Amino acid sequence: MQYKDYYKIMGLSRNTSQDEIKRAYRKLARKYHPDVSKEKDAEAKFKELGEAYEVLKDPEKRAAYDQLGANWKAGQDFRPPPNWNEGFEFKGGGFTSDEERAYSDFFEQLFGHSGFRPGDKGQYGLHARGQDSHAKIYIDLEDSFNGATRNISLSTPEMNAQGQVQIKHRNLNIKIPKGIKPGQHIRLTGQGSPGSGTGQPGDLFLEIAFNNHPFYRVSETDVYLDLPVTPWEAALGAKIKVPTPNGSVDLKIPANSRQGSKLRLTGRGLPAQVPGDFYVVLQIALPQANTEQAKAVYKNMQKEFTFNPRQALGI
Amino acid sequence: MSPHDLSLVHTGTVIEEDSLTLAQLCRACDVHADWIISIVEESIIEPQGENSRLWRFSGASMRRARTALRLQRDLGINLAGIALALDLLEELESLRKQIKTLEHI
Repeated sequence: MQYKDYYKIMGLSRNTSQDEIKRAYRKLARKYHPDVSKEKDAEAKFKELGEAYEVLKDPEKRAAYDQLGANWKAGQDFRPPPNWNEGFEFKGGGFTSDEERAYSDFFEQLFGHSGFRPGDKGQYGLHARGQDSHAKIYIDLEDSFNGATRNISLSTPEMNAQGQVQIKHRNLNIKIPKGIKPGQHIRLTGQGSPGSGTGQPGDLFLEIAFNNHPFYRVSETDVYLDLPVTPWEAALGAKIKVPTPNGSVDLKIPANSRQGSKLRLTGRGLPAQVPGDFYVVLQIALPQANTEQAKAVYKNMQKEFTFNPRQALGI
Repeated sequence: MSPHDLSLVHTGTVIEEDSLTLAQLCRACDVHADWIISIVEESIIEPQGENSRLWRFSGASMRRARTALRLQRDLGINLAGIALALDLLEELESLRKQIKTLEHI
């Protein structure tokens, strides 16, 4: 078991006042809250912070922690000295939190198991409906276009008969309905937590997200593709084969198309109830002047065009 | 798990097409109806339907309600603050998406 330096986690010194601890927590909680933060591993940091605050905000727990001594280093192998908590009485100040929190082994060794209260199950009676559970799943764009069956694996923390938290893994085959959008939810009746007694199991809610696609982008029900074209295709117009998620199509590029022009294929986006559109965004690719012949063509263009792309800049 | 279970395919309902009642939303968030009513009154989420018995909630509402709950529990923000935070977070998310799209061009 590794020693945890709760002061270091909160960026505080050992003689910080209780008020300062609270202020520091507020500030860090806002910074690392997983709903708000874009920091990497915000969730892990937020949990660690919550645990540190759980101890330091409570003068009794803090005093008990302090008397372990200041010579421990974070990550050092730790065993609590015998009778380390003699004379401390924990009134369970922070232990009544509603949430199922998973604290570190270090915390539980010192302050006991606190995430689940033994009385919790009782509050709903003996025959209670199980809780609903939530998960986010990632699917491919093609799954929404064609409909699909996907095998997903879910891990759920569950409490066993001894009151220990164990991670339970299970696999489910899920039907992905055609036309589903990112951010939509699928509800699976009876696939949540088991009920107690004769109570029904809860439901499982799956939030849909899309894996990044190598060349398509999705916005609501619309799908975007950056399409490289040659300067002459853009200038003279052309008929080009374009890939779409449900097969390639022939696209007519109008003459005098510009860089970044958007061409719309109505109804070829996600096949939702109101189907989205497919947008082709033109990207003009320049051939390199790396042969004498190519250079001659560019020089000829230079001679033949009177073209100033910087006209709008007034020079 | 037996091989029989593996071949079973679960078909769910899409919430956006079959939205949630007040009772279903309460269970999904594990909260009392009072709390949901208070966030509707703060217009943090906006159900369809005239009164609470006819209310229907979208999947987006469920996501907002669950985020609101976490913000309230973890950061101690009041409902007015949560409403503001959620709106700003959504705006931020849509701006980030736009940046991602623009970076491609």
